[in-house]
Amino acid sequence: MTIQYQSQKVALPYMQLSLLLFILQVVMGLWLACNYAFTLPQGLVDVFSFATSRAIHTNLLVAWMLLGFMGGAYFILPVECERELHSTKIAWLQLILFAGAAVIAVIGFLFGWTQGKPLLEIPVPLDMVIVVAALLFLYNILMTVLRAEKQSVLQWMLVGGVLFLALMYLFGIPFYSSLNADYYYWWWVIHLWVEGAWELITAAIIAFVIIQVTGVNRKVVEKWLYVETGLFLFTGIVGTGHHYYWIGAPHYWLWWGGIFSALEPLPILLMVIDTWLHIRERKNPVVNQLIWVYIVGLALYHFVGAGIWGFIHTLPPINYYTHGSQITVSHGHMAFFGAYALLNLTVFYFALPQFKGIEKYEAKAGYWGFWTMAVSMFFLCLVFGVAGILQVYLERMLDIGYSTAHMMMMFWFKVALFFGVCFLAGVLTTVYHLFTLQPAVEARQG
Amino acid sequence: MTLNNARLVFWVGALVSAAIFGWMTYDFHQQEEKYAHNSKIDEQVVAGKKVWHKYNCNVCHTILGFGAYYAPDMTKAYYRLGENNIISIVMEPEKVYRDSFRKMPNLGVSEEEARNLVRFLHWTADIENRNWPPQDEKYVKAAKMRADQPANVERTDIVLGTCGGCHSFVNQGRNVAGDFSDLARESSFDRTTLIRFMQDPQSVNPDSDMPPQNVTPETAGIIADFILSLR
Ligand code: HEC
Ligand code: HEC
Ligand code: HEM
Ligand SMILES: [Fe+2]
Repeated sequence: MTIQYQSQKVALPYMQLSLLLFILQVVMGLWLACNYAFTLPQGLVDVFSFATSRAIHTNLLVAWMLLGFMGGAYFILPVECERELHSTKIAWLQLILFAGAAVIAVIGFLFGWTQGKPLLEIPVPLDMVIVVAALLFLYNILMTVLRAEKQSVLQWMLVGGVLFLALMYLFGIPFYSSLNADYYYWWWVIHLWVEGAWELITAAIIAFVIIQVTGVNRKVVEKWLYVETGLFLFTGIVGTGHHYYWIGAPHYWLWWGGIFSALEPLPILLMVIDTWLHIRERKNPVVNQLIWVYIVGLALYHFVGAGIWGFIHTLPPINYYTHGSQITVSHGHMAFFGAYALLNLTVFYFALPQFKGIEKYEAKAGYWGFWTMAVSMFFLCLVFGVAGILQVYLERMLDIGYSTAHMMMMFWFKVALFFGVCFLAGVLTTVYHLFTLQPAVEARQG
Repeated sequence: MTLNNARLVFWVGALVSAAIFGWMTYDFHQQEEKYAHNSKIDEQVVAGKKVWHKYNCNVCHTILGFGAYYAPDMTKAYYRLGENNIISIVMEPEKVYRDSFRKMPNLGVSEEEARNLVRFLHWTADIENRNWPPQDEKYVKAAKMRADQPANVERTDIVLGTCGGCHSFVNQGRNVAGDFSDLARESSFDRTTLIRFMQDPQSVNPDSDMPPQNVTPETAGIIADFILSLR
């Protein structure tokens, strides 16, 4: 299979850059684990601190996710709209602005140029560049969709998700004089992204991939799409309250946030069920089994990482003890990997062979990459979970001081470092495989 | 289910939730004064918050439980440590944490910035956030009551609430400058010298790296008795 529209080609550099940033993000993560696992000398801490590396780690995460979504959208929309993209020039300009802002941001972090808000460290002038890039993107995809012969639920869900994402970003930009309000709106970005806008984008993209790969009836997929995204928004918007229990907000947030967020796993479960049904009723033959592994892996990992791991600590009586501990880290990693890293990789495995016109590719390294990543990330999160339980038990139940508790946790960060190295091996294998896809050798098909 | 019904699920779900959320956001702002005492945010608190952002403290420390989990939570730090200790730690972490298992970088914070930071952390510590984090509640209570109602507070909570940022006792507090059981044995100070040492360490030992403690003479007396009882 080859690409059907020339303008789809503009998605390729997005995806390649995205993969490179993924590698860098993971390398930075290993350095963070070293900071936790060992006592580093003051001289080193003074010049290259945990703070700098964490800012790079998390911002690269967001950057490669967004690049992947944008590349994915540019790849999908021509096929979905049955026409070329509105403008590939705009797409290139947008990529240059976005990548330029990312590079300057990382260099800036090294010199302490930051807005000082976790995950949203990018200083305001660079925020403006990002906003311009986002506007170009929105304009470009909107024009593409508006000029399409046939409009589909899927197109609008994608556009709507991107619009929602871009709007929420704005709430992270201003300076708030009250810390309380600051964090109220910080979660409009972080929570309403990962449990709102990004879920819409994921649902739309994965619906597209499923239609293409399985050949099932579009009508059925689009019905599921509406119901799932409707439930996502219904539970997820008020569910933002699960971050407002301890910031100094009215009491009823405990009930509303607790109950709505406890329902958030439902739409994710629906996604698992519909993926499974569509795969069972597939009309197309299995050509590259690896993409099916990714689709199923995404559905299940998404449910485990976001649904189960999120549910575990979302109710107020539990969250009182687990809040702000390594338990959150365990969930954050499981959910981001399970939902969004796997989504991007699924899209890359769908798109990249088409750029090369490969029908069936040699998949061995791809399987190794997938399983190494999936298994070591699972163990990594278990280890974070153990460290978190230890932290909560020692500090908050036994009332043991910070130093003693954290020195006991250091061992588990050495273990985390080990699984982190395994994970990096999986990432390198996967990225290498994606960059060097080869047609399968006929003999082996037999 | 028809496509139209599915579309209905989408719009009703999204709009109902957004409407509830919108109302709650309105009410959150209405009640900010009650929970966060926003009218107490003065220029220094704002300046302190800007310092907090400028040095990216939040990417090592959590505050209100958000941020990175690498270093102690700052929500109630004001009550856990007091003004002088916060200033010394922030300005000279390499001294305070010389022997600690984990270092905080010297970020070059000026004295004025550090004072504003303390104002910001004081305002933060007074946010009514349902007593989170759990492990700090005893220190908040001790800090608020140790001056006028010491009888109503556990003695170890008074001691560790005051000195627990750097000294430990039976696994509580932090041992970056010695455990009280050891200090009690090694130090030869009498009661008066101990009290003087707490309030102005450099007047007793000019080379001391310990910052002066924000304690009233009464509280210092309680703590001195505690240390002497360990000998
Ligand atoms: C690179 C990470 C890092 C940054 C950035 C950082 N700190 Fe720290 N901080 C630490 C660590 C680690 C400790 C605990 C050291 C130890 O236990 O040995 C600490 C301890 C503290 C303490 C004492 C906490 C307690 O309960 O004993 C205070 C107060 C503090 N930091 C304030 C700040 C402020 C204010 C800023 C910003 C100006 C800041 N820190 C920036 C890492 C950091
Ligand atoms: C910010 C950290 C810090 C805090 C808080 C702190 N100390 Fe210290 N303390 C030190 C350091 C550092 C030393 C190590 C010796 C020195 O440099 O004087 C020390 C040493 C001591 C000694 C031994 C002095 C000697 O020379 O024998 C005593 C006694 C003591 N502290 C009591 C207290 C008491 C009581 C409190 C609470 C009121 C307290 N400290 C709070 C940092 C601190
Ligand atoms: C794919 C979707 C999700 C992603 C990527 C994700 C990611 C994250 C991240 C990164 C954090 C930590 C933020 C921080 O404090 O720095 C977090 C916190 C949290 N998440 Fe999720 N999450 C997802 C879905 C869910 C779901 C569905 C639930 C509930 C069922 C949930 C419950 C929570 C809770 C309760 C916290 C706060 C933890 C605390 O008290 O500190 N998450 N999430
Ligand atoms: Fe959330």
